[in-house]
Amino acid sequence: MIIIGEKINGSIPSAGKAIAERNEEWIRHLARIQEDANADYLDCCASVNVNELETMKWMLDIMQDETSTKICVDSPDPKVCVDALPFCKKPGLVNSVSLEGDKIDVIFPAIADTKWNVVALLSGEQGIPSSVEERMVNFDKLMEQAAKYGIAANRIFVDPLVEGLATNQESLLTFAAVCREIKAKFPQIHITSGLSNISFGLPVRKMLNMAFMTLAMQAGMDSAIVDPTNRDMMGIIYATDALLGNDDFCVEYISAYRDNLFGPVKA
Amino acid sequence: MIEEIKKLVETGKLKKIEEAVQEALDGGADPAEVLDSMTGAMDSVGEKFQKNEIYVPEMLVAAKTMQRGVNVLKPHLGAGGVGKYGKFVIGTVAGDLHDIGKNLVAMMIESAGFEVIDLGVDVPAEKFVETLKANPDCKMVGLSALLTTTMDNMEATVKAIKEAGLEVTIMVGGAPITQAFADKIGANAYTANAAAAATKAKELAA
Repeated sequence: MIIIGEKINGSIPSAGKAIAERNEEWIRHLARIQEDANADYLDCCASVNVNELETMKWMLDIMQDETSTKICVDSPDPKVCVDALPFCKKPGLVNSVSLEGDKIDVIFPAIADTKWNVVALLSGEQGIPSSVEERMVNFDKLMEQAAKYGIAANRIFVDPLVEGLATNQESLLTFAAVCREIKAKFPQIHITSGLSNISFGLPVRKMLNMAFMTLAMQAGMDSAIVDPTNRDMMGIIYATDALLGNDDFCVEYISAYRDNLFGPVKA
Repeated sequence: MIEEIKKLVETGKLKKIEEAVQEALDGGADPAEVLDSMTGAMDSVGEKFQKNEIYVPEMLVAAKTMQRGVNVLKPHLGAGGVGKYGKFVIGTVAGDLHDIGKNLVAMMIESAGFEVIDLGVDVPAEKFVETLKANPDCKMVGLSALLTTTMDNMEATVKAIKEAGLEVTIMVGGAPITQAFADKIGANAYTANAAAAATKAKELAA
């Protein structure tokens, strides 16, 4: 499972406050605890209206000074994503492209001949399509563009998008069906998700988030944008990977436990 | 009978509402009174939601139940029976594709007695202005934004509506929106959730 640590994101109130106050220690702390929790990428999203690029650079410098984990450059503005790439010490993940606006035209050429990976959302011009078929149409269009720029499937993290269960009870079923179709077409491709949308408006959200995780993983999701310091979620991820036969001799599960990533907190 | 209809809406009994409304009408109930009972039910649903006593799907199913009941009622209501508070234009601002919150607000506003014109997501400022111009009887508009980065577009939309000289009440909402932000961009009202939006809209329309 490829874990993208979600904690450094200005749209989370405590992180937003730290960014607004240029609280270096707070950003450093968030980077540290996520690297210690074995995150594969650290998301970096400024979520500000003005000076986004400059804010992003300030965040990236601190994060890369504190840790050596790869960066997931996250902005709704494709230009900011591209302009932030030179601030990163090594290639990571760009978050994200979709068929909306000029995202593909700006981001794909910029990463074509690099080692950068990219998150691709299946939303279209009109938001999140509700059917599996419509999402697959968007997927095919995205892959056509990726092929044009020579971006191989194994560099792409597809986010099939999660609708809230409260408002759409088929949400997981649609998500899983899309995962299966995508994996059947491109076995090497990655599938990721910021899954907490699933539980919007419902009590004890973590139950739904964890249940979603196991079912989505079985359908082929092999990455997630989550809080890696959430011990219950990390435990479920390691357990599910082991149960799905992705963890020979349960080595990963056992060592994650030994490393104190889940289970009773060890002193 | 009326009490039962109220209860069916409150508890979201989708499958039973149509028959119950029909029975009430057959029994000579005043259609306007039936409508009032359902609106009243939604008031109490909204109140419970704001007190965290019920959850989103419970609010949603109640609103859907009311919609079904209203469909049975419609042919029996005079002009202006449904949507007695008038029209309400709603949409998620340009650059933003999020619709869950906007849809919930639209549903609650409709249940409260407005005729909702839903422009969908990623709605350019011009589209709001055009729609309001095409519906001069519409005095209220609701703008939604979920992204910090599309808050600017909300501000631009408020500006465009005002510059077009449209005298409408502008309501705003969405995760990053605050009362302070609403004041800053010159919106007339901010509410934190769908139920509060419906209550506020009625207050402002009255």
